[in-house]
Amino acid sequence: MDEARRAKLTDWLRGATGAADLRLGAMSLLSGGAIQQNWAVDVVLAGRDEAWVLRTDNAATLAVSLPRSAEFALLKAAFAEGATVPEPLYLCEDTGVLGAPFFIMRRVQGIAAGHRVVKSETLCGGRDAAVRALGRELARIHRITPPRADLGFLGAPPVDACLAFVAEQRAALDRQALPRPVLEWGLRHLERSAPPPLPPVLNHNDFRTGNLMLADDGVAAVLDWEFAAWGDPHADLGWFCAKCWRFGSTYEAGGIGARDAFYAGYAAEAGSAVDAVRVTWWELAAHIRWAVIAIDQAERHLSGKEPSLELALTGHIVPELEWEILNMTGVPHAA
Amino acid sequence: MQREAPEGPNLLATARDALLTEILPKLSGTDAFTARMIANAMAIAAREAAQNDVWVADMRATVQRLTGDAAAPDRAFAATIRTGAFDPGTTHHAEAAALLRQAARLRSAISAPRVLGKG
Repeated sequence: MDEARRAKLTDWLRGATGAADLRLGAMSLLSGGAIQQNWAVDVVLAGRDEAWVLRTDNAATLAVSLPRSAEFALLKAAFAEGATVPEPLYLCEDTGVLGAPFFIMRRVQGIAAGHRVVKSETLCGGRDAAVRALGRELARIHRITPPRADLGFLGAPPVDACLAFVAEQRAALDRQALPRPVLEWGLRHLERSAPPPLPPVLNHNDFRTGNLMLADDGVAAVLDWEFAAWGDPHADLGWFCAKCWRFGSTYEAGGIGARDAFYAGYAAEAGSAVDAVRVTWWELAAHIRWAVIAIDQAERHLSGKEPSLELALTGHIVPELEWEILNMTGVPHAA
Repeated sequence: MQREAPEGPNLLATARDALLTEILPKLSGTDAFTARMIANAMAIAAREAAQNDVWVADMRATVQRLTGDAAAPDRAFAATIRTGAFDPGTTHHAEAAALLRQAARLRSAISAPRVLGKG
């Protein structure tokens, strides 16, 4: 970040904090996602060292992802509900400061990278303690229910989250260049077997290994809220447990621990048992949703708008997702 | 006359081996991640080059027979699945399922052979 921007940022932070003597220290780009940029920011505020993260948009923003102001509101709602998220501090919607809206949150320490988390036997007190704690986190998030004036940007909840999912994915397939018979097969299976609707809750919608920061003594933070929406609580449980998000590990709860321990943690906090049949429905949905996202990402590369080896390779995840979708819909292995 | 050897698949495999054994150990962080992605892309391209793609035409013929659509059989197949015409209990359910499995196997053999217990 150049000096002119640092100066603008310093001025804005002084206004936001009310501390005229705030000093901006080191800033470094953290490993961010494909959609956002995260900067580690050190400041001295009222004589104290503060460790913050500045989160702003990357050049390529997915149309489906929420704006920074919405993510800030979600973090505030989750923080107030007792979920372990980085404390949201200040929001700037004035693009004159950094060129895009951004917000500041407190920096937390831990490990999120999926391939590291699934290999650890000790993070968060060990495998089963980790998934129990993550189950409790998810149940806290699901205590947030509509209507909520502060989350008005989420719109009205779907009347039937399962059938709405099927309709959304079909619409996404209709926008794509090639037909996808296996994904249609999976969606038709979902349509036939859709359970009746439940009262809607806040879905994080990307609650999976890789977005969950763990420390030695517990969950450090639930990150990446930009896909949150109202829906069926089992959607998040299924996304977390889906085989495609286990990073090659055999542990069924996010590649981290036992499914039973994850469900037990969730049920203890939610006060009601997990419906395993519904979770299975949403695990199939998870494979389809990830396949549709992967196809979109490859298309960003193929269109020439954003040539990228990572996006190109993401497209090659689709066949193994299709393989799993056929397994989950009972298609025999023998041709 | 023939092409000069070694040809594409051999060159890809040799280059990938050099990348993994000589270059990757000297890298860390995002550079190592990028090198692994390059190696993965080379492996996919090599498997694709080695696969006999007669199956694409064979499968198209089967789909055409199942859907009765000669112009865009894959699109017709996808649309027909959506209507429920290949649901369990229908005449062509087992045939449609077997065709999807066969396509997924051949596609995974290139993109993700480990799901087939290979690679």
